[in-house]
Amino acid sequence: MIRGLNWRLDVGVRRLPLGVAAALALGLSLSACGTPASQSTGPEPEPAETTEDAAPSSSAGGSAEPDPAASSSPSGSAAPSGSASSAASAAEAGVRPVAVNIASIDVEEPLIDLGIAEDGTMEVPEDFSEVGWFDGGGMPGGRGPTVLAGHRDSTTGPAVFHRLVEMQPGDEVEVTDAEGEVHIYRVERTEVFAKDDFPTREVFGALPEDELRLITCTGIFDVEAGSHEDNHIVFAVPVDADILR
Amino acid sequence: MMTTQRRRTIGAGATLGAAVLLLSPTMTQASTEAGTEVAWPEEFTSAYTVMATPDEVIDADGEVAPGEEGATGDFMFWINSEEEVICYEITLEGVTGGYESPALTATHIHEAAAGEPGPPRLAFPDPEPIGDEPRTSSGCLAGPFMTGVEGDDGADTGEGFSLAEIEANPAGFTGDSHTEEFTAGVVRGQLMQVPLDGIETGGGGMQQSSSQIGVFAGAGVLAVAGVSAFMLVRRNQAA
Repeated sequence: MIRGLNWRLDVGVRRLPLGVAAALALGLSLSACGTPASQSTGPEPEPAETTEDAAPSSSAGGSAEPDPAASSSPSGSAAPSGSASSAASAAEAGVRPVAVNIASIDVEEPLIDLGIAEDGTMEVPEDFSEVGWFDGGGMPGGRGPTVLAGHRDSTTGPAVFHRLVEMQPGDEVEVTDAEGEVHIYRVERTEVFAKDDFPTREVFGALPEDELRLITCTGIFDVEAGSHEDNHIVFAVPVDADILR
Repeated sequence: MMTTQRRRTIGAGATLGAAVLLLSPTMTQASTEAGTEVAWPEEFTSAYTVMATPDEVIDADGEVAPGEEGATGDFMFWINSEEEVICYEITLEGVTGGYESPALTATHIHEAAAGEPGPPRLAFPDPEPIGDEPRTSSGCLAGPFMTGVEGDDGADTGEGFSLAEIEANPAGFTGDSHTEEFTAGVVRGQLMQVPLDGIETGGGGMQQSSSQIGVFAGAGVLAVAGVSAFMLVRRNQAA
């Protein structure tokens, strides 16, 4: 009987390292989701290169000049030129956002610039603790949606936007622009979309008004694809607009 | 530019259109003068949005020629430059009256930077219905393209045009629509590239750590069970 007991304990002990090994292996294979889109090689892609690649193609809505340093610089250095529409006034173009503060989920972060990767998808922050804004889209105070994205989790645990799913209609989000003005948005709705049925027009499409979207991952993590199956998106409108509506 | 897998359908109209296409493929390859109407491709290489407004309208001389006050246009384009297919969803609001243009249709992508005039390269079916809100137009066109406008060289301004040219410099292209009252353009706006598909904002660590916890918990249960059994054995032996 004692021999039998030893065997059982052995099994228990043996399973533990196996499980840990499996989890570790899983972590390695999953890391692709956390790196910029479609780069499946490890955790150290080159920030400058991806930004440079993306900048020309996304220059229409943001700065006219590619800014290789912008990826790692929260405030960026390009002026909010609104070059896409020279006829539009500065007010219509808005001002580049530099920081976000979401008290309800305890997020207070500077923003990095995100462009479009070579495969046409959106770049994501390389650092799981950073929040980025899509620099080809709208800017606070201007027309069109300002889109911010942050990771839900890293390969080992929660990341900067892991509590985004807790946000509720009515919650407020403060976005500070490069001129120091704080734009307050109020959450209107939150939605979950499958990534392979992503509503590009609804999230990124042109708008006559100033709106805000916050994006992170949610849903089951598909091990083979190295990616969460869904995106959780928070749609918010300026508090001022609430009064008008 | 790499191709991204894409399985989405765009709007109910698109779904319906795709279903019809599946049912009767031979009837759907309708060739119009502007291009060939095709089904939504499975893949796209890039996507663009346009916020078209009256204040962006420029006449042929390069002068600001404001369109209809209060009108807006929301243009969305998806391009597969490898197959020369462009899909479009166009919505006009606050636009009154009928369309007018020397081209095949009055809704275009022109090769023109902001504030500059330029020739139409693509002509899309005009948003409808006239006289009701909103006016919409959606579908996909495959090249070779025609606009019906003769360029300085005597050739059609759409002839030989490749969608890769838009991908190379989206800001050098503008979307617009022309009406009887606003022949220079009722609304206009530059193309702005937007991302394809969903956003990869997660490394799976939360799911992984919960499964790790499960492994540890499982091991713990086994260990406790083992120790209990061991104690039981010891007790039995002592007895």
